[in-house]
Amino acid sequence: MNISVRSLQSLRGLSSGRRGAMNVFDRSTKRKQKEWASSLLDSDKYDYLRDEVGSRVADRVYDVSRTFPLALDVGCGKSHMAEHLSKDIVERLFLTDISDSSLRNRRKCEIPSHCVLADEEFLPFKENTFDLVLSILTHIINNTKYPVVVIQIHQVLKPDGVFIGAVVGGETLYELRCSLQLAELEREGGFAPHISPYTAVTDLGNLLGQAGFNMLTVDIDEVQVNYPGMLEVMSDLQGMGESNCAWNRKSLLHRDTILAAAAIYKEMYGNEDGSVPATFQILYMIGWKPHESQAKPVKRGSANVSFADLSKMSKLQKTNEKS
Amino acid sequence: MSSSNVWSRSRARMRLFPELLAQCSGEAAAYGKCVASTTTGKQELTKNMCVKEFEALKSCFQSAAKKGVK
Repeated sequence: MNISVRSLQSLRGLSSGRRGAMNVFDRSTKRKQKEWASSLLDSDKYDYLRDEVGSRVADRVYDVSRTFPLALDVGCGKSHMAEHLSKDIVERLFLTDISDSSLRNRRKCEIPSHCVLADEEFLPFKENTFDLVLSILTHIINNTKYPVVVIQIHQVLKPDGVFIGAVVGGETLYELRCSLQLAELEREGGFAPHISPYTAVTDLGNLLGQAGFNMLTVDIDEVQVNYPGMLEVMSDLQGMGESNCAWNRKSLLHRDTILAAAAIYKEMYGNEDGSVPATFQILYMIGWKPHESQAKPVKRGSANVSFADLSKMSKLQKTNEKS
Repeated sequence: MSSSNVWSRSRARMRLFPELLAQCSGEAAAYGKCVASTTTGKQELTKNMCVKEFEALKSCFQSAAKKGVK
């Protein structure tokens, strides 16, 4: 591996500030990690998290009582959502991802689908094409570039189209983060970030609102997975293609630090049976592209009931029941 | 990746890591407790604050590795 090439690239990354947004992640490294992960023979072993999130996002699609003639799955990986969706809800599906080997190894689904190799930040579709956009963006994505992704999604959606997505939230892998931090502090005297920054719930609402989405709902879910130890957590993350790809990542982790972090992880967060938990906090969001048919807040001053009447509501209910 | 190079060798060594760590669970727990106590106490965690426990853990780990290597 060329450490000199990487440091050159990181210099370039730090100096290029496009539109004032920081370039935090190295997308070419991320693509390589994803290609490697999907080319593993036992890559199915690492799909459990994405499958779980995929089924929960698909549940939310069913909650919307509409049929979607054309849907798009951004960053689909091996297409974890399509197998939970049925042809009556989604009639045609486009799958896009940054790595072509994941698309090649994708799961079968009954919906007629087309695959497009595309980067999430540059969606090659015309405006106002899709009725539904789905995405599971795990911590891979540039959280600083996420505004760009959301704006792109907003553009390709038809008016009154809906975007249902899932991102990884701020509390994810906090056990791993804290253990590594404490170990590095104790062993080396300082610490470097090994886990990329995640989106906070509040940021998500702002992001979607600024991109122009209406009627937002964001809810949080936590998935806790138990592992035998810290190294299994890290190797599973690597197998999922989620290794660190930030420009400022340290190229090495000392053996002593790994040992220390594993001991700390087990001691601070271990369960009674000897396993250690890893928390994945997933934020689900639903946003609608504005359309005249959608309910809008009414004009100020047009109220015809007063909040003071709330106290009389229970009396009103009783009279209704009696009559 | 059929030839043995430094990456495949070091990955093979890393795979043994969890088993070796399991053999030193006492020392690991002592080290973990030492570090965890600093998070609740008033003092900040500085370098080598728990160096005694860590050296015990490391020597146990290394002797387990020497014993365990086939």
